[in-house]
Amino acid sequence: MARVYNWQLGREMSYWYPEARPQRQFAAVFDTNKCIACQTCTLACKTTWTSGKGQEYMLWNNVETKPYGSYPLAYDLKLLEMLNGQAWSGGRYDGETIFESAPAGERVLGWRPEEQDYAYPNVGEDDCANQVDSGAFLTLPHMNWFFYLARICNHCTYPACLASCPRGSIYKRPEDGIVLVDQGRCRGYQECVRGCPYKKVFFNPMTGTSEKCIACFPKIEHGVQPQCFVNCIGKIRLAGWLSRPDEARADNPLDYLVHIRKIALPLFPQFGLEPNVYYIPPIHTPVAFNRQLFGPHAGEAMKAYRNAANDADLAGLLCLFGSTEMMISRFRRTGGMVTGSDGKGVEVVRVPLREPVHVRPAVDAKNQLVRINCP
Amino acid sequence: MRYAMIVFLVVLATACKRGPKPANEVIAVERQQLPASPAEAAWDQTPEHRAALLPQDQVEPRLLTPTTGEVKVRALANGAEIAIRLEWNDDSKSDTPGPARMVDACAIQVPATAGKDLPEPQMGQEGRPVQVTYWRADWQAVVDGRGDTIRDLYPNASIDHYPHEAKSLAPGSDAQKEMALRYSPARALGNIRGGPRTVPVEDLIAAGPGTLSPGPSLGANGKGTHQKDHWSVVIRRKLPDGLSLNQRTHIAFAVWQGSRGETGARKMRTGWIPLVRRSGS
Repeated sequence: MARVYNWQLGREMSYWYPEARPQRQFAAVFDTNKCIACQTCTLACKTTWTSGKGQEYMLWNNVETKPYGSYPLAYDLKLLEMLNGQAWSGGRYDGETIFESAPAGERVLGWRPEEQDYAYPNVGEDDCANQVDSGAFLTLPHMNWFFYLARICNHCTYPACLASCPRGSIYKRPEDGIVLVDQGRCRGYQECVRGCPYKKVFFNPMTGTSEKCIACFPKIEHGVQPQCFVNCIGKIRLAGWLSRPDEARADNPLDYLVHIRKIALPLFPQFGLEPNVYYIPPIHTPVAFNRQLFGPHAGEAMKAYRNAANDADLAGLLCLFGSTEMMISRFRRTGGMVTGSDGKGVEVVRVPLREPVHVRPAVDAKNQLVRINCP
Repeated sequence: MRYAMIVFLVVLATACKRGPKPANEVIAVERQQLPASPAEAAWDQTPEHRAALLPQDQVEPRLLTPTTGEVKVRALANGAEIAIRLEWNDDSKSDTPGPARMVDACAIQVPATAGKDLPEPQMGQEGRPVQVTYWRADWQAVVDGRGDTIRDLYPNASIDHYPHEAKSLAPGSDAQKEMALRYSPARALGNIRGGPRTVPVEDLIAAGPGTLSPGPSLGANGKGTHQKDHWSVVIRRKLPDGLSLNQRTHIAFAVWQGSRGETGARKMRTGWIPLVRRSGS
């Protein structure tokens, strides 16, 4: 194994291959606070990519209700139980990653879901963390909670699927960091399914190969965000390019959210893959739970998000979520307006921080009529 | 005396029924017509070699717990082809692929070029490739008539709609086939790991672990049948390089038990075993 640097862990770690970061890394931020679990993203992906024979059960994109939701079943709990001692010292991870805790004869610590684990794609939907006692809904704050977690492939910097494949059939594109299964080379051993801790590689029994999210690379190559981003009703997603921490730029939307404001956090960083989908943690969830999912900085991220209304630059950037189909490489706030531009500096979107509001009087004085809100 | 004669005849008859005594190498006996299936009588008079299997523990992922103990091998050859029958114990037939469902399989391996310097027995090495002929139980099921729908694998599956079955696409038309391939990228690339096929085997070449690739056609074919506790599989292919009459090359075997989660590098295998071609007399 090679020694590589994982900035999410604040330390070096062991990985199957030497560090080889792409020229630029596709990355995304999902705002969990805005997701309503309408599953439009899931259907957009399903319709576009996985409508064929053998793909019936596949959800390259899924939305699960935390704490109980999971697809495939208990994908997270099983590995968390296998991976002992996930302690942090400040920003440094003291525990072992799935690469460092690989059993003898294995490349990573993993497990393989069985058919029935895929049978309940929305198990736990809208289930609260605790039983709601009679009358509890009448008081504030509500002590019970759940939130929605939308998931796609994380296009990790250190993919476990890639490390697991004994044939080198999985590769990370040097031009954009997207992780793909070579469908001409895969022999369907399912080692990648076993290795990926997020279980975002799926075996297709009709083609006999494993398949996964491709980040809609044909769209990204044309500067357009993936299907699950542009179809999102809640406008919770923003796709872009993430720099290394030491090269972060304040005008890069992803860098600003992840590296500078540290408001968007990786999912299960302790696994060690340096995943590239980042989450703004839910602000009504106990911070201890958020820390287990999103790492030790969850508390600070929740605090910063709560203050976003008083933070013009952050609020402005959050307004760009779902505002355009195009990938935004740079953003700038000027007064009450925020603009996004593509990689060539061409402005692709301009939105106000606050939408103009006009309040129509309830009574039409001229016609002596009371207005109603029905059409 | 009469009693001793009867005992002698019974012993002789039993010996004849069992066939020739086991051989410490694989002997491909000359025969004009090679059998296509494992049950044909032609195999009975062919010497059997019992090859001990070892776990693949050279490269990750390794198999650390031994499963199948041995594979029984018989071979026949003529001037053009070799037929090899492999038999191993497996009381669980695994011929349906799926998530976490592995399939039974076996393979034979020979040096691509015969010579004194043998390639590494574990998938060959750079500059010294090996030819592999690989048989798989799910491919056998397809060749034997299993259909190409998800309901052939999951009889109770519920499917709303496939785009390639839209009413606007005439069944069997080019447009319909093209739409079906859009959602089957491996098939579109000619990587036929599942779906319709005419033979249950494939010709492969390798030059080290992880390098297995489709090889030049060796005209391979095969037939496998499962009885209650074992598989019998015949693999036929072009005569290996260097296997003229009374000449010797080498061969290796591998077996996968799907029910034990074996796939790819997780397999039971042999080292090189001498393979000789002898006349039938």
